[in-house]
Amino acid sequence: MHLLIRAIREAIESRQRNTGGWSYAAHQDAIEPTCLAILSCRNQPGNYLEGAVDFIERAQNPDGGWAAFTGDDQQSCWTTALAVLSLLAVRPASKRLESGIRWLLRTHGREGDLLWQLKFRLVDRDVQFDPAKCGWSWIGGTTSWVIPTAFTLMALRRAKRRLSAGSDFTLRIRLGTAMLLDRMCPGGGWNAGNSVAFGVPYSPYIDATSIALLALRGHQHQSGVPQSLSWLSRRISGCSAPYSLAWGIVALTAYHNSDMREEVLALANQALVAMVVERIDSLDTPTLSISALALDALQGDNVFEIAA
Amino acid sequence: MREPNRRRALVGAAGITVGGIAAARMLPEGMLLRDRRPLRSRVAIISASQYSEGIVDSLVAGIHLFKFDLRGKSVLLKPNLVEYIADVEVNTNPVLVGAAAEALLQLGAKRVVVGEGPGHQRDTYLVLVESGLDAQLRSQGIKFVDLNRDELVKVPTRANFTGLDHLWLPRTVLTSDVIVSMPKVKTHHWAGVTLGMKNMFGVVPGTKYGWPKNILHWKGIHRSILDICATVPIHFVIADGIVAMEGNGPLHGTHRLLGKIVLSDDPVAADFTCARLMGLHPERVWHLDSAAKFLGNGATDRMTLVAEQLPKTVAPFSVLPQFAYLRNQPQL
Repeated sequence: MHLLIRAIREAIESRQRNTGGWSYAAHQDAIEPTCLAILSCRNQPGNYLEGAVDFIERAQNPDGGWAAFTGDDQQSCWTTALAVLSLLAVRPASKRLESGIRWLLRTHGREGDLLWQLKFRLVDRDVQFDPAKCGWSWIGGTTSWVIPTAFTLMALRRAKRRLSAGSDFTLRIRLGTAMLLDRMCPGGGWNAGNSVAFGVPYSPYIDATSIALLALRGHQHQSGVPQSLSWLSRRISGCSAPYSLAWGIVALTAYHNSDMREEVLALANQALVAMVVERIDSLDTPTLSISALALDALQGDNVFEIAA
Repeated sequence: MREPNRRRALVGAAGITVGGIAAARMLPEGMLLRDRRPLRSRVAIISASQYSEGIVDSLVAGIHLFKFDLRGKSVLLKPNLVEYIADVEVNTNPVLVGAAAEALLQLGAKRVVVGEGPGHQRDTYLVLVESGLDAQLRSQGIKFVDLNRDELVKVPTRANFTGLDHLWLPRTVLTSDVIVSMPKVKTHHWAGVTLGMKNMFGVVPGTKYGWPKNILHWKGIHRSILDICATVPIHFVIADGIVAMEGNGPLHGTHRLLGKIVLSDDPVAADFTCARLMGLHPERVWHLDSAAKFLGNGATDRMTLVAEQLPKTVAPFSVLPQFAYLRNQPQL
């Protein structure tokens, strides 16, 4: 296991660009692969990690948010949350953190505005959700979705313990948590953001469910969370894609207290190792990084596990 | 004295340009659009009862009717790959995608790649594998590009229906000589129908716009379709209407055995024809009607059906109640 994790980290390190960042598949620095690479290599201090964190700090926009990739000028909630999580993990004294957190606190899904709430309550009712329970969108000017909300909740919950927390922290965390619970699919788990539309229940996705469960750690007794864990345990058995499988492992290891889950995790571990060994050169950086984080989590070091 | 005059002239020119752009943005969208409609469009309706290897020959023969010079060209096939739902034909069938790649290579294309950026599902590889497309493409040695995570280039929009003055688009899309839209013929709970033009939502990258590409919904689906299709040229359409979807499409509808593949060198003509095969009024679909005013041809007298003719009678596809106006006859 250690050899594989080392091989993954070497592969990630070899892909680092001169700027300090990482790209998806082409020559364009992007925040998600860079942040996941930083998190996966956080315990291996060195020049490349320093360069990566410097890149993240440089990439911040003056108002505190982060865009998704070099050249873009519009901030995204999910990439801002990932940047905050990365800085909290490896450079917690960074001066960029506070403005990033403040940016997240003053950003919300469009349904958070009163007029839009009225529209969703009175007119636009094809999709069932409570617009008062508002989280974070992918980019500005749109509604809240599961993954950006879950990443932001993780970032704020982590940050709350390190920075002086105000009432806005508590309120936004409470609202975001309520939003995730509201958008849960009827049988547990999460789709991209809607649970029922046009009268039809949506099916959950592995990565969205995993990231939502990580954000909801400590809420395992809330209605639907145990069902979501069960759904995820069932779904990752036989999952053929390492990215989803790795996220599933990271989430399930954060909720360790079931024999059944241990069995599932052992099988998932075997499957993930086989996939990574077979395709280490062709997997993209986010997939490699989250795979390393999953293998770390199986050994008791889960970077996304938030103390309840 | 010359320098201030020059500066004044530059400032004046810049002011006129900015003012002109601002004024142009305030005009009704249709007024500034260049009419790009060809004099005549060609459409081939081809019967096919099932997804089989024989489709390659049908496609070669069908595309040949267009005298489409593919020699030395790089081709991007853009199927509709949304997500995998067991036993539901949600996506463009992998056999048809593979057959299209094979046919285009036989007709001289230098290179064929398949690209898609699914709208909701972030794990593109999972959808690729579960849908069967990965196995199909691997068996043929055809490369797949995840358009959600490609290198992105900022491109000015070539229409003004959404107010977005630019789109970030994948380099693979912009550098392909030929873009082939390969939609699954389906009804759509927001847009009425999803065909060759709506299928181009998949070239808009998730890394920039999210999963789903929600900004396009906020700007208006019909309007977004028009801006995307005005900006990204669709050179050819191969529509999968063998097993189509009616009712609550694009995910939760029911199968409809239509038994047709529709080819066209004009996406608007392709979509009008598909809608007619569905028994729906294409001119009642806002983005189709608008596109037929500048982007391509919708009227039957401006298109030539080079293979089969439209059937004389069609049992209209079932639609959600809010789209009943699209049907030729009332829904029972």
